Amino acid sequence: MSKKEEKKGIDRRLLLRIISYLGPYKGWVSLAFVTVMMAAFLGPLVPKLVQITIDRDIVSGDADGLRRMISILFMILVAEGLLSFVNAYMTQWIGQQAIYDLRTAVYRHIQRQSLRFFDGTPIGRLITRTTSDVESLSQVLSAGLVTIMGDLFKIIFISWFMFSLNPGLAFVTLSVMPLMLYATFWFKRKVREAYRDTRKQVARLNSFLQEHITGMRIVQLFGREEEEMSRFDRINDDHRQAHIHTIFYYALFFPIVDIVATTALGLVIWFGGLTAMSGTLTLGVLIAFIQYARRFFEPIRNLSDQFNTLQSAMAGAERIFDLLDTDESIQEIDEPLEWEEVEGRIEFRNVWFSYDPEMDKDDDEADWILKDVSFTVNPGQSLAIVGATGAGKTTIISLLLRFYDIQRGTILVDGFDIRMVRLTDLREHIGLVLQDVFLFSGSIRDNITLRNTALKLESVVKAARAIGASGFIERLPDTYDHEVKERGMSLSHGQRQLLSFARVLVYDPRILVLDEATSSVDTETEETIQHALETLMKGRTSIAIAHRLSTVQHADQILVMHRGQVRERGNHQELIATDGLYRTLYELQYQDQEVEA
Amino acid sequence: MRSLKPLNFYYWSYKRLFVPGLLCAVASSVFAIIVPMIVRQAIDSIPRFVSTYRAFQGTPLESYLYTDFFISLSVFGLIIIGLSIGSGIFSFLMRQTVVVASRHIEYDLRNRLYDQLQSLSHDFYLEHATGDLITRATSDIEQVRRYIGPAIMYTTRAVVTIVTAVTVMFIISPELTLYTLIPMPLLAVAVFLVAKMVHVRSDELQKQYSVLTSKVHEALSGIRVLKAYAREEREAEAFDVESSHYRKRSLSLAMIEAAWRPVFVTLVGSSTLIVVWVGGTLAMAGEITLGNIAEYIIYVALMTFPVAAMGFVITMVQRAAASMARLNEIFDAKPSIPSSNGAERTPIKGGISFNNVSFRHPHSGVLALDNVSFDIPPGSTVAIVGRTGSGKTTLVEMIPRLLDAQEGAVLIDGKNIKSVAVDHIRSAIGYVPQDVFLFSDTVANNISFGEMDAGVDEIERAAAEADLLENVREFKEGFETFVGERGITLSGGQKQRTSISRALIRNPKILIMDDALSAVDVNTERTILSHLRKHFGKRTIVIVSHRVSAVQDADQIIVLDDGRIIERGNHASLLENKGFYASLYHKQQLEQELEALE
Repeated sequence: MSKKEEKKGIDRRLLLRIISYLGPYKGWVSLAFVTVMMAAFLGPLVPKLVQITIDRDIVSGDADGLRRMISILFMILVAEGLLSFVNAYMTQWIGQQAIYDLRTAVYRHIQRQSLRFFDGTPIGRLITRTTSDVESLSQVLSAGLVTIMGDLFKIIFISWFMFSLNPGLAFVTLSVMPLMLYATFWFKRKVREAYRDTRKQVARLNSFLQEHITGMRIVQLFGREEEEMSRFDRINDDHRQAHIHTIFYYALFFPIVDIVATTALGLVIWFGGLTAMSGTLTLGVLIAFIQYARRFFEPIRNLSDQFNTLQSAMAGAERIFDLLDTDESIQEIDEPLEWEEVEGRIEFRNVWFSYDPEMDKDDDEADWILKDVSFTVNPGQSLAIVGATGAGKTTIISLLLRFYDIQRGTILVDGFDIRMVRLTDLREHIGLVLQDVFLFSGSIRDNITLRNTALKLESVVKAARAIGASGFIERLPDTYDHEVKERGMSLSHGQRQLLSFARVLVYDPRILVLDEATSSVDTETEETIQHALETLMKGRTSIAIAHRLSTVQHADQILVMHRGQVRERGNHQELIATDGLYRTLYELQYQDQEVEA
Repeated sequence: MRSLKPLNFYYWSYKRLFVPGLLCAVASSVFAIIVPMIVRQAIDSIPRFVSTYRAFQGTPLESYLYTDFFISLSVFGLIIIGLSIGSGIFSFLMRQTVVVASRHIEYDLRNRLYDQLQSLSHDFYLEHATGDLITRATSDIEQVRRYIGPAIMYTTRAVVTIVTAVTVMFIISPELTLYTLIPMPLLAVAVFLVAKMVHVRSDELQKQYSVLTSKVHEALSGIRVLKAYAREEREAEAFDVESSHYRKRSLSLAMIEAAWRPVFVTLVGSSTLIVVWVGGTLAMAGEITLGNIAEYIIYVALMTFPVAAMGFVITMVQRAAASMARLNEIFDAKPSIPSSNGAERTPIKGGISFNNVSFRHPHSGVLALDNVSFDIPPGSTVAIVGRTGSGKTTLVEMIPRLLDAQEGAVLIDGKNIKSVAVDHIRSAIGYVPQDVFLFSDTVANNISFGEMDAGVDEIERAAAEADLLENVREFKEGFETFVGERGITLSGGQKQRTSISRALIRNPKILIMDDALSAVDVNTERTILSHLRKHFGKRTIVIVSHRVSAVQDADQIIVLDDGRIIERGNHASLLENKGFYASLYHKQQLEQELEALE
C-alpha cells in the first residue's frame, strides 16, 4: 500500500481541481502572494543591514549612524511582523471560505442522492467525506500554496544576499544544502511510514477500547477478564512500540539538522577566515553569514512539511471528488410540472420494482419486490394494505414518494406520472408517518414544523390539540420549546407517534401515507392515537399499512399483499364474504381487538 | 497540580532511563553552549591573523604563516563541528531515554486503567458514557505523557541552556547581557498566553467539529423524513449555519496564530538588534570585541527555543494536571460488587430463590422491583413475562450479580449470593442479554468466548443447538468468518443466535435468556426451544420473553407488572386465570398465523 501511495505522489489534475475552489477569491490570493513575497524579502534583509551597520558604523565609531541603522532595522522588523500577520490571517481566511464552499457543496450533493444511494452507503463513510476528508484539504487551500511560494522566495532572497556579499563564501555555505535536503526528505519519508503504523495502532487501541467498554458486561459475565487484559496488553504494547519507533527518527532528525546547520557555521568560520586574509572579507560579512547559515534551513523544513500535507490532501481530495462525480439522485425532467393544488387521486398501474437497479427489466422470474401491482385510490378515500413482513407494503409507500424510481409500470397522482412532477411539489402534498418516528435534536416545536419558520406557533399548538398531543407537551418543561434529547429517547413511543401525527397535520397535505406502529402501547395512549388517526384521515386520501382493526374496517379499500403481489382486494365486508387470506387473518388477528374497538 | 503526585511513583520506577536521560540533556546543552565561545575566539583572532599575515607578506615567513593560520582556522571549524556532533549524540540519547520512558509510563498507565475498568461494576458504566471513558484512556493519558516526557526534557534543557548562557554572557559583559535579556521573559510570557488562547480556541473548534459531525449524522439518519417533507433545502441551510460557525471558530484560532507572528518576530529580532546596538556602542568604547557581538547573536538564537518552550511547558503541566485528575476519578472508583477473595466456591446446583427483593434504580429513582419472592428449584424452567419496563431485566441481572438487591436477598442453592464468589457464580451461568453484543472477531471466537478452550466440535455443537450451524456453513469462510465492521454483517437473528451459542457452549448449570429470541422467527424459536428441552431437569433455565410461544412450556411462569408479581403459575393455570397472560396469549396467536402465511 505504501508503495502505491508513494508512486501516486501529487496528481496535477487533482491539484488543479482543488485549487479551482480558490477561484472566487482570486483577488485575495494575489494579495496574499504580494504580502508573502514582501515578508520573504524583509526577513533576509536584516542580516545584510546588520553587516552594513557593523562594517560602516561600529568599526568607524559612528554612534549616530548606529542609532539610525538600529531604528531602520526595528522598523523593518515591525514591517515584517505585520506583513506576516496580514498574510497568515488572509490565507486562513481564504482557505476557510473555500473549505466552507466545498463542505456545503459535498453535503448538498449527498443529501440530494436517492435512497438507493443511502441503502448502499454506510452513513459513517458519508460523515467522513463531509468532515475529515474536507478538513484534510484545509491546509492546501489556506496556507499551502502561498506558503510554498513564500518559502521558495525566502530561499531565493537569502541566496541572492549571500552571493552579493561574497560569492565564494556563499558557495561554501550552500555546499551543505544537498545534505540538508536529503536528511529532511529522508526523515519525512521515514516518519510518514512510521506514522502510518502508529495510526494503525492507535485505531486498533481505540476500537478495542470502544468494543470492550461497550461490551464490558459480556467480558465480566463470561469471566474473561484475564484473557481480555492480556489481549489489551498486547495491543497496548504494539502501540507503544510503534511510538518508540517514531521517537527514533525524531531523536535522529533534530540533532542531524543541528549538526548540518552548525557544519555550515564551521565552514563559514574556516573559509571566511581564509578569505579575510586575502583582504576581501569584513567581519560584518562574516557575522551576516553566521546568521544566514541558520536562517536558510527553516524554509527548507517548511517546504518538506508542505509537501507532506499536499500528499495527504490528495488522498482526501480523491475520495471527495469521487463522491461528487457519482450522482445517484432522482432525476427530474427538464421542465417538471409545478403543483399548487392536488386533488389526491392515486393510481399504481402495473408497477414492478426491485431494489437492485441492475435487475433485468424483462425478466418476470427475477427477484422482484413488487410484481405487477395495480390499484386506484380516489380523492378523499382510504386504502389499507395488509400482509406479512416482506410482502412489499413499505415499498409501495416509498415508491409513491418517489424515493426510488420503478423499473416497469407507472405511478400516477391526479392522472400525472409522478416522474413528470417537480419532486418537492410531489412530496409536499404527501404526509408521511413512519413506524419508527425519527426525531431530530431540537425543540418539540422544531420537530413538528421541521424548522419551517413559516409555520407559526399557533398552528403548531392547534395541530397538537387536534391530535391530542398538547396534553403531554404542555406538561413538559418549556412545553413547545422543550429540547428533545438523543433523538427523543426520553419520550415514550406513543408520544413520539403523536408528534409525528402533529407534524402531518401542521403541514396539511392532501395525501396521507401511514405505516402504523405494531408495537403495543398502553391503552390510554392507544385511545388517543385512535382518535388522532381519525382526525388525520378525515378529508384526505390515505394509504395505510394497517395493523389496527379499526383502520382496516373503516378503509374504503383493502389490499391484501403477499410476496409482492396483490392477492385480494375489496372492502371489509366483501373480503370477509370471500373465504380467503383476509378472512383467515381477520379471524386470527383482529378478533380480540373488537372488544377495544 | 496535586493530581500529578501519583506519577512520582512512575518516575522512580523508570529512574534507570530518566537519570541518564536528563544527564544527556545537560551534556547536550553544555556542548551546544560552547560553540558560540569558539566562534567568538575565531572571529577575534581573524583580524590578528590578517594583520600579522599582512605584516609578513612578501617575506619567506608568508607561506609558513599561511599554513599556520590555515591549520588554526581548520581547527576552529572542526571544533565547532565536533561540538555540534557531541551535542547531537547526547540529544539523540536524551530523546531515546526520556521520551521512550514516557511511552513506557503511558503504557503502564493505560494497562492499569483498563485493568481497573474491568473490575468496575455495571453501575459505573451507567454513570460514564463510553465516549468519555475512551477519551480518558486515550487523549487524557496522552496529555499526561507529554508532561512526563517532553515537558521534563524541555525544562531540563532550558534550565541548563539559559543558566550557562546567561552566566557566560554575564562574565563577558553584565551591561550588554541585561539589555539583551529584556525581551526574553516577555517571550516566555507571550508564549504562555498564546498557548493558552490557542488551547481554548482549539477546544472550541473541536466542539464545533463534533457538532458538525453529529449534524450530518442526524440528517442522514433521518433522510427519509427530510425527503418526505421536502425539507432538504432547510436542512442544508441549517448545515450551512453550522459550517459557518465552524469557519468562524477556525478563523478565531487563525487570528491568534497570525497575531503571534509579529510578536515573535519583533521580540526575537529586537534581541538581536539590542546586541548590535548596545554591543556596537560597547565595542566602539573598546569594552568588548566584535567577536563578542557574533557570540551574543548565537546565544540569543540558542536561547530562543528554550525560553519559548518554558511557556509551553506551563500549559502542558496545566493540561496534564486536569487530565490526571480525570484519570484519578477512575483509578479511585471502587467496584460496588467486590471481587471474591475468600468467598465460598462449592459446586453450584442451580437453585435460585428471591426473598422479598426490592430494587430502586439509583439514577431515575424508579422502583424496578418491589418485594419480589419466588423459588426456582434446580433443573426447572421459569419464564418471566411482562410489559416493557416491568422489571424483567433488572430481575435476571441480579442472578449473575450485575446488580445487587437493595432489600431482601437472592439465594443460590439456599446460600446468600453475596457469600459466594462472584466469578464462581458467573462461571456457572450462561447469559444471553437482551441487546446482543458481539466482538468484531470470527464467529468461532465469538462463540468460544463463553468457553475459551472449546474445540471445533464443541463450537459446532453449540452452534447447532442455537440453530446457527446451517447459516455458518453457508458463509464462505464458515466459522472463521469475521463479524462486524471488518467482516460481514449478520442479520439480527443470526447475531442473536451467535449470542445464544456463546452461552450454550459453557454447558451452564443456569441459563438466562433475556428476551433472547426476539429477532428469530417462530420456527427457529421452536427449534431452539426443542434443543433446550433436552437439558430439562439438568439445567435451570430462566427465560424472559414477550412471546407466549417461547414461555408456554415453562414449569413456572411469573408475570411482572411495575416491579411486582401479578400472576404466577403454569401455562394452563394462567390461561384459566383469564388475566394479563391470557390476553397476551390471544393477541399473539395472530402474529404466528401471519408468519405461517409465508
